[in-house]
Amino acid sequence: MDDVRHTARGESWVDAAAGTVSREAFVSDDVFRLELDRIFHRLWIFLAHDSEIPSPGDYVVRSMGSVPVLVVRGSDGELRVLLNSCRHRGTKLCRGEAGNARHFVCPYHGWSYALDGRLITTSYDGHLPPEMDKADWGLVPVPRLETYRGLVFAAWDPGVPALSDYLGDIAWYLDTLFWRSPQGMEVLAPPHRWRVRANWKIGALNFIGDSQHVRTTHAGPITLDRVRSEKDGFYVTGGDSFQVVTDRGHGCTLTYLAPGMKEENYLTHPPALGAAYAETLGADQLAMLHHLRVFVGNVFPNFSFIESQVALGEKAVIVRQWQPLGGTEMEVLSWVLAEREADDGYKQRALRHGFHNFGAAGVFEQDDLEIWASATQASDNPIAQRYPYSFHSSLPFDRSPCEQGRWPGTTYRPSNTEVAQFAFMRRWQAAMGSPDRA
Amino acid sequence: MNGEAPAKASDDAAFVEVLRFLHREAALLDGRDYAAWLGLLTGDIRYVVTARVSRPAEQGPLDYAIVDEDADTLGLRVRQISDPKLTWAENPATLTRRFVSNLEVEDAGAPNHHVAHSNLLVYRQRGTAPDGDFYAGRRRDVLRRVDGSLRIADRLVRLDHNVLFDGSLSVIL
Ligand code: FES
Ligand SMILES: [Fe+2]
Repeated sequence: MDDVRHTARGESWVDAAAGTVSREAFVSDDVFRLELDRIFHRLWIFLAHDSEIPSPGDYVVRSMGSVPVLVVRGSDGELRVLLNSCRHRGTKLCRGEAGNARHFVCPYHGWSYALDGRLITTSYDGHLPPEMDKADWGLVPVPRLETYRGLVFAAWDPGVPALSDYLGDIAWYLDTLFWRSPQGMEVLAPPHRWRVRANWKIGALNFIGDSQHVRTTHAGPITLDRVRSEKDGFYVTGGDSFQVVTDRGHGCTLTYLAPGMKEENYLTHPPALGAAYAETLGADQLAMLHHLRVFVGNVFPNFSFIESQVALGEKAVIVRQWQPLGGTEMEVLSWVLAEREADDGYKQRALRHGFHNFGAAGVFEQDDLEIWASATQASDNPIAQRYPYSFHSSLPFDRSPCEQGRWPGTTYRPSNTEVAQFAFMRRWQAAMGSPDRA
Repeated sequence: MNGEAPAKASDDAAFVEVLRFLHREAALLDGRDYAAWLGLLTGDIRYVVTARVSRPAEQGPLDYAIVDEDADTLGLRVRQISDPKLTWAENPATLTRRFVSNLEVEDAGAPNHHVAHSNLLVYRQRGTAPDGDFYAGRRRDVLRRVDGSLRIADRLVRLDHNVLFDGSLSVIL
């Protein structure tokens, strides 16, 4: 890997004291290749929600960095993540993005694998030498696979810590979204997928906590919002709002109703589900959810979530994978989820309203994406790269956390600084600098 | 309808009326005359755009919605992209050119009600990008006569896309 490392110009892209980050980190293909090695082919990567593949033989095809994998439910009901590449000469076993299979037959020479990856036959087993043991030639399994609250994560480095240790304090917050009713959440439709010519980290930074972009980027949906108007203080950051940074660079931002906002306009959670939440969550988690208006965050590196009630009715839970394709392009996968206990009408509204705002044609999304692409494009030249990006509005705040002990992680106010974003960048720098910093 | 012919084709008069309507509508959208375009919709419009999951052919096509609007939410979407102060994705405006073809009109058994299937190809160019992109798909429109003129009561656009390109769909199809 050292050869790759030396082609990337900066030893260090993040200047923690100055509050700046080199633009090279957001455009360079050399940096991207190092990210694959140090981050995406090493750490825990979110791949799927287990409700996407409920039955034996169901599979989805996803990516861990540049590595295509099958996430498949075996005949035994167990989830597995397997390299989507034939052990003979590399052909993809599954060439679509989802489906159901009884076994995987390679279209090239017919090697055939069980759902658990075992090689059943090469079609010419009689031609094999005795020293070739078919047991060694199954589909390559990812060495680490764990599910947290239905969220499927996998890692190529066998030495990564247990997923619950890796998630640490962010797990408490994930529970309030993904485990707040006894049956948990389900995905309501296949993920929206789109490419955008922007660096993947812009998405992660935007979701970990970028309250400053909302008024300018999203002037459209904000102005058109008839119920929750600017006059009502809806887009003013409420005094209770805060940001969270946890170990390993995870974080989230919680924006609460501002004083004086008309509560009846902000149905915070469907009443029918309120009782279910009380069954599952602790009192402190229920208190955290009370009057919470926008809840957005990122698990390092590229798994994001948002629950927001903006512009339209139901509070949809949306999750993201920011899938890097190079220094200047990513593919975004975006799912909408709801509580399994919710009635079908609610689920349909949550789905429609969710992707009306955030998705392949979302009214919030479209303005974000145009801006992210323009930031990437304008930074992709050597002159611009003499001038780093500013994360200055983290510095006056990131040494003075608030309310230690009340909420997990380290918390900060106000919620509209760049503290969480800069924590993400520092964590990214640490991971890039040392392969051992899982 | 996905490939198969309409149960019963309309007569030529209906066909010509629908063709004229769809051509006029495309011109309004390419010209960004959204106020006039909204006038072509019934008050109970449903407007849906789908994309396609890529999966084994034996398991059949699976579409999923990327846009699903009623009159209210479609109105919000259109107001956003038609007001330069309310959009970045469409300011500067993307350039579009729509091609509507391969029209088949079903005889729906009522003179004030047509079901029209058409191919749609939209060339779209954004900003100073050197090359444009295409959206392609097949539409199924339910057209109803209101106060003497046809209106769109239901539109389903089945895009022939799996992973969408270049960010977000910010135009009407
Ligand atoms: S490449 Fe798969 S059987 Fe030969
Ligand atoms: Fe945004």
